[in-house]
Amino acid sequence: MQRRHLLAALAAPLLMAAAPAFAADKVLTVGAAVFPDSLKPGIGSFASQSLLVQTNEQLVQRDAKGDPQPTLATSWEQIDPLTLRFHLRQGVKFTDGVEFTADDVVYTVKYVQDPQNAYGAAARISQVSEAVAVDKYTVDIKTKVVFPTLLRAMAEILILPKHYAEKVGTKGLTDRPMGAGPFIFQEWVPGDHYTLVANKNYWAGAPKVDKIIIRTIPDGSTRVAALVSGEAQIIEEVPIDQLEQVDASGIAKVDSIATSVGLVLTFDPTIKPFDNAKIRQAFDYAIDKEIILKQILKGKGELLDGQVLTKAALGYNPNLKARPYDPAKAKQMLTEAGYDFNTPVPITTQNGKYVSDTDICTAIAGMLNKIGVKATVNTVEGGVFQSMSNVLKMGPLHMIGWYSLGDADFATVWYTKAGHRTHWYSEKYEQLFLAARSTNDEKERVRLYHEMGALAYEETPSLFLFGLPSLYGVNKTTTGFSAPSDKILHLQKVELK
Amino acid sequence: MILRYILRRLAFLPLTLLLVALATFVVLRLTGNPVDIFLDINRTPEQVEALTQRLHLDLPIPAQFLIFLRDLLHGDFGESLQFSGSAATVVWDRAGATFQLAGTALGLAVLLGVTGGIVCAVWRDRLVDTIISSIAVAGQSMPSFWLGMLLIEFFALQMRWLPTSGYGEPRHLVLPAITLATILLPNFVLITRTSILELMGEQFVVTGRSKGLSRGRVLITHILPNAINPVLSFLGIQIGTLMAGSIITETIYAWPGVGRLLIGSIFKRDVPVVEAAVFFIATTIALANLTVDVLQMLIDPRIRRS
Repeated sequence: MQRRHLLAALAAPLLMAAAPAFAADKVLTVGAAVFPDSLKPGIGSFASQSLLVQTNEQLVQRDAKGDPQPTLATSWEQIDPLTLRFHLRQGVKFTDGVEFTADDVVYTVKYVQDPQNAYGAAARISQVSEAVAVDKYTVDIKTKVVFPTLLRAMAEILILPKHYAEKVGTKGLTDRPMGAGPFIFQEWVPGDHYTLVANKNYWAGAPKVDKIIIRTIPDGSTRVAALVSGEAQIIEEVPIDQLEQVDASGIAKVDSIATSVGLVLTFDPTIKPFDNAKIRQAFDYAIDKEIILKQILKGKGELLDGQVLTKAALGYNPNLKARPYDPAKAKQMLTEAGYDFNTPVPITTQNGKYVSDTDICTAIAGMLNKIGVKATVNTVEGGVFQSMSNVLKMGPLHMIGWYSLGDADFATVWYTKAGHRTHWYSEKYEQLFLAARSTNDEKERVRLYHEMGALAYEETPSLFLFGLPSLYGVNKTTTGFSAPSDKILHLQKVELK
Repeated sequence: MILRYILRRLAFLPLTLLLVALATFVVLRLTGNPVDIFLDINRTPEQVEALTQRLHLDLPIPAQFLIFLRDLLHGDFGESLQFSGSAATVVWDRAGATFQLAGTALGLAVLLGVTGGIVCAVWRDRLVDTIISSIAVAGQSMPSFWLGMLLIEFFALQMRWLPTSGYGEPRHLVLPAITLATILLPNFVLITRTSILELMGEQFVVTGRSKGLSRGRVLITHILPNAINPVLSFLGIQIGTLMAGSIITETIYAWPGVGRLLIGSIFKRDVPVVEAAVFFIATTIALANLTVDVLQMLIDPRIRRS
């Protein structure tokens, strides 16, 4: 057994070299920054969904703004406050020829709800009681309470073919995913690449390439090298210090988009003197966000307007603006509030979790030092960060990014009791949040979120910094690709010249 | 006699591995609850409970360790959290790539290192010695991630001779193997050089020369067999360095080996895979060390007798 394994490992390269690809094949190679470790459904990470969505699509997909667009469902309506009805796309076939119907949706919802499956997005539909097939092409999703984020949450759930899933189980689905998506599974090599071929019968028209290879290239510089050498036509996450190198290569260019991640520094108001909102506001005045955006983030992404939500999100409050940089005022406010300048202020952050996270923290610590605040940077490993976060012992300030994925509910929940992620608490904020969660009236929800935004701006539970960018490198001869704001690759329209 | 030695060493192997397993087990539980780290931030309480039970985290720590040991005796590390299939299979599937890389790198390092060392010693203080020794010292101080980037820049981007990264064909192996070999190669050069030079002053060498043997003959029949032992000892000690270096090399070149698997699994706290991977690496190092020791005994009768 062992010997055979070794022999196979040694022989594989020779065999591969002997079988050249057909010359006519149009092969698109993507260099992925983060690569999931398997194709198991519901691993809850963007990287995982980015691969799985090639074979298994959702009822609705987010567009660049985060708004749901018809995919396997063509339309939907709220038939009563607790029921969302989906009309399914008719005549869609899974790649084994079986037709996609309401039964598949019902099965998928059940699969997501089963705790044994540890499905990442399960909590996104936690208020769903059941899915019911009304007829072959109509599904009702019933909720226990009014659940306005249900539609957007459905963009997280990839439809599994019931007949196939029942036959092969989770292991089979993981080993060989099958669905109605634009591409068909061909080969999965863990830690190396995922190869798919075009689904010529894809409902929205056959993809423009014959084959896609999504390769993992974990190192940023190597990824850029693969792009510049032409080995990959698209790469994810160009390191921010190599943007110019890509643009100057003459071979590729950078395609960037603002994501829905709001990067913030959150206070722990149970640690004195950070219970004082005036001190929290003073810190906000002490940070020159413009220059960090320009120098560290190279102008990519956006400045958060005094709120956790990015500009494209539902519920973004256009009346708020970030506090200007005014160190003199910051110092004066601190002195007036009786701030003890000897208070140690460690800023807890992870390294490499978000674009330039440590660099941004270091710059901010420097700016706080300038007005006499004893700020330092405390970099911790992801697991340690998570443990600190679970017991809410993050120190006076910590850096975190919250995704709204286009809906305020997903990002503002972290400032409520239900989120368990901050010590800051406001009765009013809590009520507004619950009210916004309890109506399907989108206008009313937006109004409530505006009010929450204004309240959080005054209270400053966090220093709202930047909407983070997503930076893709694309070969100049490759068309039909646009950087996705949610990091999920859509490749069916990509063309190679 | 050598056989008895091997058996005795093998008898101690389980003890070494047990200590490694214990250390891994303890560290994984000291650095936060794996359930909290593995599950999505939007996890439901039911999911937390299901995974807690699956990893036996609801039991007292000693009980957890006993279960872990019992499964270990059956070669069972449990099912991977992120992959489908058992953790042992997941690790074994990636072992081929690591053996391929580490084996090639080690072969390169020994071959070139020993040859370089001989050249340096024979032409001691000549130009060729100065050049090779200087390169070796420079190579010794060069971090492998930096060398890796330089190699990619030159061979893949400037000359377009080799791919930047990847796995599958022999050409993919060239740059990672050179990068990894460079971690050990300079030391092989310097150690071989030193040990030959030391031996050159020994009485048996002088005797050999004085009874009319040629320099080459003395070198091959008298010096080299004695010089090879320090090189082997060094190799034995450095197998661990090689495995550690392969983690960095695998990351730079997107090589799908055990090193990268281990790092990824640690970040996600895929407990079964971390335990299986550490166990695999520890076993490899232990067996490699044993092989080196046995080789030394075969070569040097003095060690055999002691």
